[in-house]
Amino acid sequence: MRMTLSKRLHVFIIFVFLAGVLLQPAPVLSAEDDGSGSPEIRKLAEVFRFDLRILSYGVLQQPSDSSQNPGNNFLEIPRYTGNMEFRPDLTLKTDPLDLMVKPRLHLEYRVWEEGSREGTGDWDNDLYVNEWLARWRARENLFVSYGRENLQWGPSFLFSPSNPFFLDNGRRNPYVEVPGMDFGRVIWIPDSTWTVSFIANTDEGRNDINLPGPFERAYALKMDYQGREGYGSLILTHRENAENSLGFFGGLTLSDAVLVYVEGAMIRGVYALYPQADHSPFGASMERIHADDSSAQPVILVGSSYTFAEGGTFTGEYAHYSPGYGGAEADRYYALRRNAAAALSYGGPISGLGELTLGHTINTGLRLLRRNYALLQYNRNNINDCIDLTCRWTQNLDDWSGQLTVLGSYIFGDHIQLFTVGTLNEGSDDTEFGGFLDYQCMIGLQYTF
Amino acid sequence: MIKRFAKRFRNTLLCAMAMGMGLHLSCAYASLSPTEILRKADEARGNAEGVEWRIDIRSVERGREQHRTLRVRARSFNSLAEFLAPPNVKGQKLLMLDRNMWFAKPGLSKPVPISPRQKLIGGAANGDIASTNYAGDYNIVKTSEDMVNGEKCYLFDLKASDNRATYDRILYWISIERLVGLKAEFYTVSGKMFKTAVFEYKNSVKIGGKPREFISRMVITSALIKNDVTTMNYGRVVIRKIPDSVFNLNLLTR
Repeated sequence: MRMTLSKRLHVFIIFVFLAGVLLQPAPVLSAEDDGSGSPEIRKLAEVFRFDLRILSYGVLQQPSDSSQNPGNNFLEIPRYTGNMEFRPDLTLKTDPLDLMVKPRLHLEYRVWEEGSREGTGDWDNDLYVNEWLARWRARENLFVSYGRENLQWGPSFLFSPSNPFFLDNGRRNPYVEVPGMDFGRVIWIPDSTWTVSFIANTDEGRNDINLPGPFERAYALKMDYQGREGYGSLILTHRENAENSLGFFGGLTLSDAVLVYVEGAMIRGVYALYPQADHSPFGASMERIHADDSSAQPVILVGSSYTFAEGGTFTGEYAHYSPGYGGAEADRYYALRRNAAAALSYGGPISGLGELTLGHTINTGLRLLRRNYALLQYNRNNINDCIDLTCRWTQNLDDWSGQLTVLGSYIFGDHIQLFTVGTLNEGSDDTEFGGFLDYQCMIGLQYTF
Repeated sequence: MIKRFAKRFRNTLLCAMAMGMGLHLSCAYASLSPTEILRKADEARGNAEGVEWRIDIRSVERGREQHRTLRVRARSFNSLAEFLAPPNVKGQKLLMLDRNMWFAKPGLSKPVPISPRQKLIGGAANGDIASTNYAGDYNIVKTSEDMVNGEKCYLFDLKASDNRATYDRILYWISIERLVGLKAEFYTVSGKMFKTAVFEYKNSVKIGGKPREFISRMVITSALIKNDVTTMNYGRVVIRKIPDSVFNLNLLTR
């Protein structure tokens, strides 16, 4: 949503005013905690909940000068951004109907230091609803819902292959929200051990940038098991005019310190772009060549974590992603990218074709570009009851590029949290992690009302 | 295989020995076996059918004070803890499905599987806020009698029945008169005591139509740093049936 500066300011003022008004009940509702207050207020406090988080943060990042983004002229990644986000969450639980809405206001100022926009800056803003939900409890064990959700599951950190709807599992940067998609769901809980869900993904919602082609509706049947020894799920998915898949995940708590888990999928027909040699000016183009394949492609991720006596947890994961590019395909992919990048400076139709090709190479529809990955992570929360720290190394085992991510947060008092997310990418231009950003550093404050 | 059989045999033997000793326990509940006594003590710190409570946790660790308010709903081996205060942690949830634990918080896309060993706050581990199931998780190795604050107690020496229990060994003092746990010492696998806890029972609930003392306070003290103390106050205790949907992972984050 684009607006003029004056409109933007008006929206901002109205939003802050509304936030202020909505926050008024907070001290009244808190009376519920000590059991005081009128019965009406206590009743309201039991059914209505309002949470507001305000995030103010800056991002410093260095775009890679790569064939995907030569001279930063294609992606036009800003060097600095200053951001403010208002994230209110409103929930009304009136048995048997639950309502939830998460409107968002994002204000951003961006400055470019590289590429065609070098030395310039501009404002951007976005006012949207990232998630909303209406859920009806038809019976004690039967729930029917529709809404815009960030529907995630599975134990993995690296990515969640069992989830057919979202490419991003939100683990890379927990301060950036994953855009919601529209789902209808029926959840049946026959007993404490089993759950059966029918899920219909009816619209891409706000998650409109992660697919290389038009959105296709998808339907999934999900069966969950929760036992004393462990847990497990099977997810059978059909996507209209696209792939079918059987996803799965499971885990065991081997001891009070050791967890093991597995997550994966068998995918028939891959709805992604592959470099295909042809007689086009670049010698190849990105085509959806495996969309109609009848053979199933396996994706498997195995992981384990160990919690030390002092509280830190070490996690290791290995993933094999069959749909990813093999060596020859990767060589063809990077050659195509280099040719397309070179064509950008030629001008004319060839330049347009170069742009189109780079648009395909950046958004192939694959969750990961190559086939073999490892992740190592050390996480420790509540250090001195105020610091959370996560260090994560992700290694591409095919092109040997890597990514270091450090997540840290420090709690001041009851409301304020200082947070930082640092990412350092290692690898040459023709590698997965080396092609976009050399590094990125996000630092900010979160105030929770 | 042989190792597993030997472990089972050892556990069975320990139980049989403990039950044999139980025949000599002297009290108003002399007819109860040691396992039944342990189960009664568990009842005062949870309930198989379902219980809901508020826990106010205050911890002092290395001089730093922290507090948390939680709403806990528990049934049998499952429990769901929702953080109510302070604002920084409001909305966080800890779901415990037996020994499988998941942590969710606002802004986090999906629940994270965590281990029971992970620290909750101060000296309290995740397993400490759940409904207590010592009778299911531990074998009674030895029973004797002792005194706690002038009150006659059974002293149970408990050993984890498998490696999924939160603690390897617990010394547990249970009031002979009231059948509630008054004190516990928690030990690591290496045999080192790492924390102690004392319990108070000023809450009252009706179980099977009869009034029963129910836990009101648990004070955990670090064995290594004596000034590190975590106090858990239990309030608004309600015994009621908790539906399966409360403990369902599909409904956890919304």
